[in-house]
Amino acid sequence: MEKIKFIIDGKEVEAVKDQNVLEVAQENGIYIPNLCSNPEVKSSGGSCRVCLVEAHQNGRMRLVTSCNYPVREGLEVKTETPLVKRIRKGILELMLARVPDAEVVVELARENGIEEPRFKKDEGDNYRYKCIACGLCVQVCEEVVGVSAIAMLNRSYEKKPGTPYMKPSEVCIGCGACAYACPTGAISIKDQGDTRKIWGKEFKMHTCSVCGKPYIPEAQIDWIVETTGKDRSFFDKCPDCR
Amino acid sequence: MGAISSFSDLDRYREKISSSTIEDIPRVLICFGTGCQANGSVKVAEEFERIIKDKGLKIGVDVGLKSTGCHGYCENGPLVAIKPKDILYLRVKPKDVAEIVEKSIEGDDVVERLLYKDVNTKEVIEKYQSIPFYKHQQRIALRNIGEIDPTSIDDYILRGGYSALVKALQMEPGEVVSEIEKSGLRGRGGGGFPAGRKWSSCRNTDGDVRYVICNGDEGDPGAFMDRSTMEGDPHSIIEGMIIGAYAIGSNHGYIYVRDEYPLAIKNLQTAIDSAREMGFLGRNILGTDFDFDIKISRGGGAFVCGESSALMRSIEGKVGEPRAKYIRSVEKGLYDKPTVLNNVETWANVPVIIKNGAEWYSQFGTENSKGTKVFSLVGKVNNTGLVEVPMGITIRELVYDIGGGIPKGKKFKAVQTGGPSGGCIPESLIDLQIDFDSLTEAGSMMGSGGIIVMDEDTCMVDVAKYFISFLVEESCGKCTPCREGLRRMLEILTDITEGRGKEGDIELLEELCDVLKWGALCGLGTSAANPVLTTIRYFRDEYEAHIRDKKCPAGVCQALITYRIDPEKCTGCMVCARKCPQQCISGEKRMPHTIDTERCIRCGICKEVCPFDAVIVE
Repeated sequence: MEKIKFIIDGKEVEAVKDQNVLEVAQENGIYIPNLCSNPEVKSSGGSCRVCLVEAHQNGRMRLVTSCNYPVREGLEVKTETPLVKRIRKGILELMLARVPDAEVVVELARENGIEEPRFKKDEGDNYRYKCIACGLCVQVCEEVVGVSAIAMLNRSYEKKPGTPYMKPSEVCIGCGACAYACPTGAISIKDQGDTRKIWGKEFKMHTCSVCGKPYIPEAQIDWIVETTGKDRSFFDKCPDCR
Repeated sequence: MGAISSFSDLDRYREKISSSTIEDIPRVLICFGTGCQANGSVKVAEEFERIIKDKGLKIGVDVGLKSTGCHGYCENGPLVAIKPKDILYLRVKPKDVAEIVEKSIEGDDVVERLLYKDVNTKEVIEKYQSIPFYKHQQRIALRNIGEIDPTSIDDYILRGGYSALVKALQMEPGEVVSEIEKSGLRGRGGGGFPAGRKWSSCRNTDGDVRYVICNGDEGDPGAFMDRSTMEGDPHSIIEGMIIGAYAIGSNHGYIYVRDEYPLAIKNLQTAIDSAREMGFLGRNILGTDFDFDIKISRGGGAFVCGESSALMRSIEGKVGEPRAKYIRSVEKGLYDKPTVLNNVETWANVPVIIKNGAEWYSQFGTENSKGTKVFSLVGKVNNTGLVEVPMGITIRELVYDIGGGIPKGKKFKAVQTGGPSGGCIPESLIDLQIDFDSLTEAGSMMGSGGIIVMDEDTCMVDVAKYFISFLVEESCGKCTPCREGLRRMLEILTDITEGRGKEGDIELLEELCDVLKWGALCGLGTSAANPVLTTIRYFRDEYEAHIRDKKCPAGVCQALITYRIDPEKCTGCMVCARKCPQQCISGEKRMPHTIDTERCIRCGICKEVCPFDAVIVE
């Protein structure tokens, strides 16, 4: 693997080619706030803009999202300059007005000196949920699960994730990876008895033969069996009892 | 392999078709651009056909009838040009055709009422080239538009078409790239990136497959430069792309056109098909071992798909959203392969540059902005339409010499350049040279070349609001600054124009602009603040008047104006009272009228209809 050396906040760090700045910063104990990227999801990142940093190279400076900015030899990154703080604060204020119920956004905004946004907070049915429209759920569903049950719908400030025509999806397997990955906890997933409800669709859960706990949707087992050829009996026991 | 399978074949073919066309016979050129078609040019053409056929039988006048692309002078369509006399008739109706045929084709006279009449000097001008609108133009990219039938490849070849390709194929690909580099051609789609440098980076990137793309997703309100080229001279784009593909080593090309441009799609497809038949596209082009073909990709009309990375996603069949360009398209573009994307006008310039040489091309324009630029000149200006001028022309020359000034003797206020995310340039900068760098310095941009002229009756806050509301609609919503920032800007601008503006609003707008400029993901987002930034920069007093005095100095913002009737001027003719939709104007016949401001909805109809200018807006 090709090694690359560059500087973050005055400290020389070592990285491997194809890594991004955020990853390397985290490895080196440098905190950069971020929401929409996930290292397991290659196409993720770049939309919430919270992880902006200054990238200096060849005498040129620009603000870049550290979550998808590739490391380069000779790069110098600054994570806490007045410019970075100013723009990050502006972004968080806009975000807070959009999703006043999302605890992680409220917390991040507070860390950056915002208690109340100067804009009217969104409320009502459309905006009650905590979605920051980053699209990570959609990327997980497509890239990691391989199902593509949801997509980003509409554009501009009406952009949101959803199933086609907001009807129960024919292909959703109820795995809940979208809800798990969501940085703001915006996706509603409810397990009750042996039933799971997500994206307006109910899934029958498979029960563990040892502890008797419903732990995985039948549809998800079907999907895994179909795509991997794994034996169905593998799912008799839940991960805790295996 | 098509009909033309070697370099010398093309010359022979051209000779053959030129001997069968006689140059000095009269030809009628009827504009079939979208604007003229909407004004009835198809009916006019039918009438010409009918009369010529009837008369042809009797007197044997031989007339070639061509339906051409846009002549640019759309406001005065349908346009009919008579060649070789070069007479231009404006606003021709079917009933005028018989007279035109009689006087200008059979006889040696003109139909004076259909000629151009200068609004300012009242001079009547017969010749195409002498009309001020055309006189100051330098048509390079638009060289064939209006002169040829876009559906005829023979027409294009007769005007020297595809000879640049023959020349290029006899050069080394690297030589072609450096010729474009030397010409100084910069991308005409907005960013102004040097085309040659883009080609060269792509050519030098390792890869088995490379793509060339033509961006024909023209989405700026009021812009129709690229549409006219695609409709009126599709072969110039195709020839440019073939040359580009040869230069960078690509075998696949795409033209991305929005579906709202049906005529462009039709004419491009016809042109692609005939180019393939002739052997300019396909395998072993002109007998060489170079293969290249072009597909049309139709876009759904999202403004953001004009952004290059979103456009590529859209061709791939994905949602048209931009991606970070930390790795450039010349390395990883369409399907993650090295890609050169240029816009319509850039491609159309390529054949001329190769044919006449970089030196010839770089004689036009300024130090850092070479060549010409096509603008769609619209708004409050006498001659609206499509113009091509050398870079470096001043705003004054464009508005007054070509555009014929502001209608009704109104005062010039500003021009808006660069599309919705461009900026407004005030009268104090009217002598500013129009080139990439000067416009950027003034806070605006070249964009794709929309020029909207504004007069004293334009409210600059309202203008900013208009463009921001367009951008709110068209933001893809992927990144927070653009999605959330623009709608907050629109809220504030709406408050200001509706009388709810408060101290601090201007500063808050400026803060939001800052977040957008630095924080947004793509070029559309980072430039989206320009309309607000430039109007604040040059017209801050207007913002302040709205906020502090609750007045709209231009008399536009309905919540901040009142209408009243000047009793001195009012003759009591009752026209306004009859037209008022609210029935809120009262008064005796032949006595001054009054407006009930409580009930008035400030629609402005009374002002429009008053023959005595007695309605005052305050």
